[in-house]
Amino acid sequence: MSSKRHSIVPPVSQSGPKPPVQFSSSITIADSAILTGANLITISTESVIHPRAKIESLAGRINIGRRCVVQERATIGAVGSAGKITEAAVTLGDYVTVEVAVSIEAGDTIIGEGTTIGVGSRVGAGAVIGKHCTITPHSDIKAGVRIPDYSVVYSNGTRRVDKRPVAEQLKYKGLARQIDVLRRMIPSNPAKFM
Amino acid sequence: MAPLPFSPYTFIQCPCSDSTLLARPADAKSPTGADAEEDERTFDPRAPRSNYSLYPLEYLLYCEDCHQIRCPRCVSEEIATYYCPSCLFEVPSSNLKSEGNRCTRSCFQCPICIGPLSVTTQETRHPDANLLSADNAATPHSGGFSLTCSYCHWSSTEIGVDFDKPNGIHAQLAKIRNGGESRLTAKERKERRKELSHRGDSAAAAAAREEIEEQVPDLENQFANLKSFYNSQLADPTAADNGLSTLGDLGFSSPSSLSRIMNLYTGGKISDNKAKSRLGAIREALTPEEGLLVANLDEAALISQLHQSEHCDTASMAQITSQPPNLGEPALHGASRFTSSLRPIPHLLRTKRSKRCPVCRHIISKPEPKVQTTRFRIRLVAGSYIPSISIKPLTLPGPSGSSSSNPSDLLISLKPVHYLLTFKNPIFETIKVTLATPAATPGRFPSKVTVLCPQFDIDANTDVWDEALKDNDRSDKSSRNSGGTTRQRRGTEAGYQLEVGKIWERGRNWVSIVVEVVPASLRLEDGGMLREDEDILEIPMFVRIEWEAENAGDDGGIVPGAGGKDKDQKEKRELAYWCVLGLGKIKQN
Ligand SMILES: [Zn+2]
Ligand SMILES: [Zn+2]
Ligand SMILES: [Zn+2]
Ligand SMILES: [Zn+2]
Repeated sequence: MSSKRHSIVPPVSQSGPKPPVQFSSSITIADSAILTGANLITISTESVIHPRAKIESLAGRINIGRRCVVQERATIGAVGSAGKITEAAVTLGDYVTVEVAVSIEAGDTIIGEGTTIGVGSRVGAGAVIGKHCTITPHSDIKAGVRIPDYSVVYSNGTRRVDKRPVAEQLKYKGLARQIDVLRRMIPSNPAKFM
Repeated sequence: MAPLPFSPYTFIQCPCSDSTLLARPADAKSPTGADAEEDERTFDPRAPRSNYSLYPLEYLLYCEDCHQIRCPRCVSEEIATYYCPSCLFEVPSSNLKSEGNRCTRSCFQCPICIGPLSVTTQETRHPDANLLSADNAATPHSGGFSLTCSYCHWSSTEIGVDFDKPNGIHAQLAKIRNGGESRLTAKERKERRKELSHRGDSAAAAAAREEIEEQVPDLENQFANLKSFYNSQLADPTAADNGLSTLGDLGFSSPSSLSRIMNLYTGGKISDNKAKSRLGAIREALTPEEGLLVANLDEAALISQLHQSEHCDTASMAQITSQPPNLGEPALHGASRFTSSLRPIPHLLRTKRSKRCPVCRHIISKPEPKVQTTRFRIRLVAGSYIPSISIKPLTLPGPSGSSSSNPSDLLISLKPVHYLLTFKNPIFETIKVTLATPAATPGRFPSKVTVLCPQFDIDANTDVWDEALKDNDRSDKSSRNSGGTTRQRRGTEAGYQLEVGKIWERGRNWVSIVVEVVPASLRLEDGGMLREDEDILEIPMFVRIEWEAENAGDDGGIVPGAGGKDKDQKEKRELAYWCVLGLGKIKQN
């Protein structure tokens, strides 16, 4: 039934050789997601890759943790201005949400567990974002910046450390529920990338 | 970055910029006198004053009684309704005096990012228990309620504030200090005091008084203490002065009351010396109970806190100024400087306003008082009285085309260009339009301007359906005359030749005419620099509209005894104003 609907975006061109992948059997990956590069891409248990999300392993290995959500047009492992090749280009911890049109540059970039990267943000090469951070929409995390756990980064550059009593379980439950819905909505086709 | 493409604009001058017009009483019958004066000088859109009188048509209102344009600068406004933009609750103006201009319900903004805060049940502090009872929705939550920001996850628990009830947050917040400590409001404190003084038990009273005094001396506390102290001083200064009792004194004979009364009559000049000596009798507060606050100059704790924090932990100026006056805050030196002590901001109230004509005081815009409706009861916008003017560069196809420009292109000096001005008539009468422009634009770089058709009529803005039916007849006729279109394109037969004195195109209630412009050369002889916006080609244009209106009979100028005959007669009306047409940018070489 999806064939009846005409998308305004041109069809995805999957050119070049497929990158080596290591998928958990429980992931959801949309048919129109784009995986490129020559290095290994690992996606762990129950993670969801939305349509047209782009994962590039040109500059190194990409590691996506458990129950991560990578939304539309997000790019993980973009070769940034630094353009250096490292062992692990991008590592996402568990329960990381990468929202629409986010760009995470390659180069030992690490996103900690439970962190949300807001719409349209950019994470520079080698940035290390701690656990349970919130990067608000349209933020720019400069290359090599270290952000401590529980930080909130505002798009005007200011930061705040969240001092609330930790409520990971509640957050995780919410995310698990979201993944459950997404799994039903996004037709998964992991075979295409293997 | 490429410069933004220039889009043509029309600004209209409000008559209020001419102060003589406002001072003169409205006289609808003879506006020609004012116009005659105006005719003599050309309006200069570049004059510094012009910035304050030019508006797009959409910003302007119209007074039906003065028959004049009114702008946001000259109308007088009256507040119709105060309301909270968040909960859309109307606030009576009497509340405003006592409660201030913020929403006193549960509408708050995040102090860090100004996002709206929502009341949430507090997350339980025992994650294990939470997991076990995950499916049991009816579990009573252990904590209270807190305000949280969904954008940045700020929560009132960060400043140690949580609430017992999910409603009436404003009142609850007033009683809680940062850190969760409760505090007495002024009213409660007064009641507490009264209770103490009534009770005889001195030991208990002393203990309770101590308890009150132990509270952090916040602004409200100190003010209340000072006020009661000074009131008592004013009532009987003699008591402090010489220790004599003033029992049975009703206050009239007390020296301070006397001097105050004398001041009323003498304006305070004669008895100044006397009053001073009397005031000397009033002593200052000496104890905290009387309102004395010893300044805490030891800011070592604050400085060490600053040493330990990063720059982003200190509150910005905008954050501090957007904070509501916090009566619970320690006075003077204890004021917060860190983001960690910022409190939720109650929403500022907004207003709905009605607008009056500055000359005749008639209401020209009045919103529906109900907050939820966005409609207006009265709204006389200028757009429904005066024609709109739209500007389009005219491109003539074919070899005889004198110009072929892209709208975003820059104008080339000394190369003539043509613009199509379309006037659209909003009223139900046929109007006669007369245009006047100076032959050359004012300023250092005069561009030549020629309006090819400075005088024309525009048909009335009749009902669309009427017109559609009429069109059928007309097209029969016009097919014989000019080629079958309802629009009469003058240029068609003449091979797109521009004719002086002819309308370019005409429609139901609109007319297009052509303006020819020869852009100035921007070359300066002395090699100086262009000033700001001097490369923009702006034409001042004087527009005069004449029409015949139904005589409403309520105009002041008409003799009431003239009888019923006049009622059917049509009254001649006219309106004249300056406007500015921004056509394009001249290319700099
Ligand atoms: Zn005005
Ligand atoms: Zn409200
Ligand atoms: Zn916030
Ligand atoms: Zn008026």
